[in-house]
Amino acid sequence: MSEHDEREIREALKQAFPPINRELGRDLWPAVLRKLAARPTRVPWYDWALIGVSAGVLLFFPQLILVFAYHL
Amino acid sequence: MDLLQRFALGEIDAFETLVRQFQGEVYGWIVRVVRDPGVAEDLTVETFWRMYRARTQFRAEGNFAGWARRIATNLALDHLKRRRPEQSLVDELAGEARPDPVLRREMREGIQRAFRGLPAKLQVAATLALVEERPYEEIAEALGTSVGAVKLRVFRAVRILRKRLDRFRSQDLVERT
Repeated sequence: MSEHDEREIREALKQAFPPINRELGRDLWPAVLRKLAARPTRVPWYDWALIGVSAGVLLFFPQLILVFAYHL
Repeated sequence: MDLLQRFALGEIDAFETLVRQFQGEVYGWIVRVVRDPGVAEDLTVETFWRMYRARTQFRAEGNFAGWARRIATNLALDHLKRRRPEQSLVDELAGEARPDPVLRREMREGIQRAFRGLPAKLQVAATLALVEERPYEEIAEALGTSVGAVKLRVFRAVRILRKRLDRFRSQDLVERT
């Protein structure tokens, strides 16, 4: 691949993708704040599933509580 | 206590100051990659939201702008991976700023289609290096990789585009004769 190829591709891309306005037209802080308020940290479903499975196992095999406690 | 330390501790006023200070820069970086102002605004908001959530991982003596750019680039990459090439082509043509007398419309469409068909990582590296002419060091930092890796991605993008354009030109020639 020569420098000529890169130059040619560069020119072709520049013509295919005209310059885009990079100025931000509005203040995004209100949108950031809304997003922060709208999405409190949630526990994902697989964490709840893991808690459920662990609780079930300990309920049916209470002797495992000792093993569990030993590893804490 | 300085602004970055206060941000790391979760002070919302400090975060607001930082968002207002860096939002233009982050937006400008993202819009270069995704080339869609609406999407770039959404991704800028998402960038700052993620930064706030990850604020405890930020070292106060660190580079806030560099960190923002890294997160923004990853989000832009994810967006390009999800986007269908046909959709982006329609958007690009709809937003076309000026007609070009040198390059015909079909040729531009061919180039855009070929470009949007590239893997997202190659698209980002090639857009920033070839279209936007950003320094390789800056691109490498934003992508979290080495300058050598960026050069390799640009090289691969050029090689693929070269082949696709040659094929397009030969097809075009056959159709015209």
